Amino acid sequence: MIERTFAVMRRVLAQLIRDRRFLVLSVLAPFTVIYLLKVFFESAETPFFDPTSFVAPVGAFLVHFITYVLCAIVLVRERTAHTLTRMFVNGYRQHEIIVGYVLAYTTLATVQSLIVLSELNVLFDLGYSFGTLLSLYVVIWLLAIISIALGILVSNFARNEGQVFPFIPMVIVPNVFVSGIIVPVDRMPEWAQVLGWFTPLYYANEVIQEIILPNQTLLDSLDRFVVLPIYGIAVLILATLTLREMD
Amino acid sequence: MITVENLHKRFGQVVALQGVSLTVDSGEIFGLMGANGAGKTTMIRVLIGATRPTEGRVSVFSLNPMTHARQVRKQIGYMPQAPALYEDLSARANIRFFARAHELDNLEDRVDEVLDFVDLRERQHDAVYGFSGGMKQRVSLACALVHRPKVLLLDEPTAGVDPKLRETFWQHFRQLAAEGVTILVSTHQMDEAFHCNRLAIMRAGQVLVSDTPQKVMERGQTRVKIQQSGATHEATLQNYPTELPALMQYYPQAERIDIQQDTLEDVVLSLIRGVDHD
Repeated sequence: MIERTFAVMRRVLAQLIRDRRFLVLSVLAPFTVIYLLKVFFESAETPFFDPTSFVAPVGAFLVHFITYVLCAIVLVRERTAHTLTRMFVNGYRQHEIIVGYVLAYTTLATVQSLIVLSELNVLFDLGYSFGTLLSLYVVIWLLAIISIALGILVSNFARNEGQVFPFIPMVIVPNVFVSGIIVPVDRMPEWAQVLGWFTPLYYANEVIQEIILPNQTLLDSLDRFVVLPIYGIAVLILATLTLREMD
Repeated sequence: MITVENLHKRFGQVVALQGVSLTVDSGEIFGLMGANGAGKTTMIRVLIGATRPTEGRVSVFSLNPMTHARQVRKQIGYMPQAPALYEDLSARANIRFFARAHELDNLEDRVDEVLDFVDLRERQHDAVYGFSGGMKQRVSLACALVHRPKVLLLDEPTAGVDPKLRETFWQHFRQLAAEGVTILVSTHQMDEAFHCNRLAIMRAGQVLVSDTPQKVMERGQTRVKIQQSGATHEATLQNYPTELPALMQYYPQAERIDIQQDTLEDVVLSLIRGVDHD
């Protein structure tokens, strides 16, 4: 099983490495958007609006959005090219394909998370301690992995590339509104708060808002932090169960 | 080896297969012939366990491909109609990836063997996207063969392939059959019928005829034109060797006789178009 999972991972990585344009865009996109974020926040800064508490959560959202979009199409491409059927006929199993993909894309997400956080730190002069930055990195990185799994899950429900696009705002837009990044969750109606519990960005934002406070560590928000890996595993299981092997 | 009994498959309102029954014996090359939409691909997808039948029974090595997918798939090689390759990877990387699923001993040696078999050793490190359609089909065949399957299910392997390569493909199939591999191959190239030991001619999800090419050809007709005393007389005979002598008794002064016998291609085409001679 492990050998086949790594075979999928190696193959996807080999494809990523050969696709230079995709790689460059995957790195340039967050890089450029973070710079635009800097320009936006500088323009929006008033005595009544301090963007500091928004910087890290918005950075996390950007990684979440970009990684999710990049992965939402991967398995549809396999299905339309008939390579998915060929994988199944040759003996690859659902969990080996899903985990192999997640492992391969995790390498990309690791680099993306690092770029985003480094750029945020430099452009916004965050002034956080190394421990806080490390904790932020772990949260953003975990969110990126969840985004990969979510993208693959969505990819399972589309029969062709065109069908993927409606799924993108369906997941991302509610995620932003009910996660607490824009408006604190406790100011929302109860039903909207409940909706927030189902989004990974809600937990990431809750943890980030705490760890950026002085003298706070990841351990202080452990109860919400552990939801992230559990959420990721749940999405992975769901993606594995919904990857159709037959018509 | 392969048994299909009363197989039905519906996709919503669309009937893809209706009551198909056939058997394929060990070491046989069995051809599925028919126009596009006849049900050939659906049939093969049921056999690989990728499409669930609506009704009927299917067995490969006496196992149901739906309930015993793992055991069945270990022993089958599948070549889909589309090349189904990773175009940004090399020919070797593609073959190696599908081989890895089978956890073969001496994997690299086996990859070399199949690359030699399809004559692609020299281009093994080139990315597939630069290959011609025929070369992609050769890589696809190599992927299907890499784990030494006992049954090969080939969905239109010669579609879009030039005549020379088509002949090479059939040489490969004959060689594999001689080594004991059972081959079920679908095609809409009528001239390929004679390469098969037996054929099933399909139309609208049904098998119209299932027999040897020779027996299928016997379903053809012979058109006879006889000129006698300045007049031309035409007749269509079902069984030309026995019926012609009897016919000639009516034309003792015949000056010229033209005989035009259906080829296997004519018979298959007329069956597919729905013109049955029986």
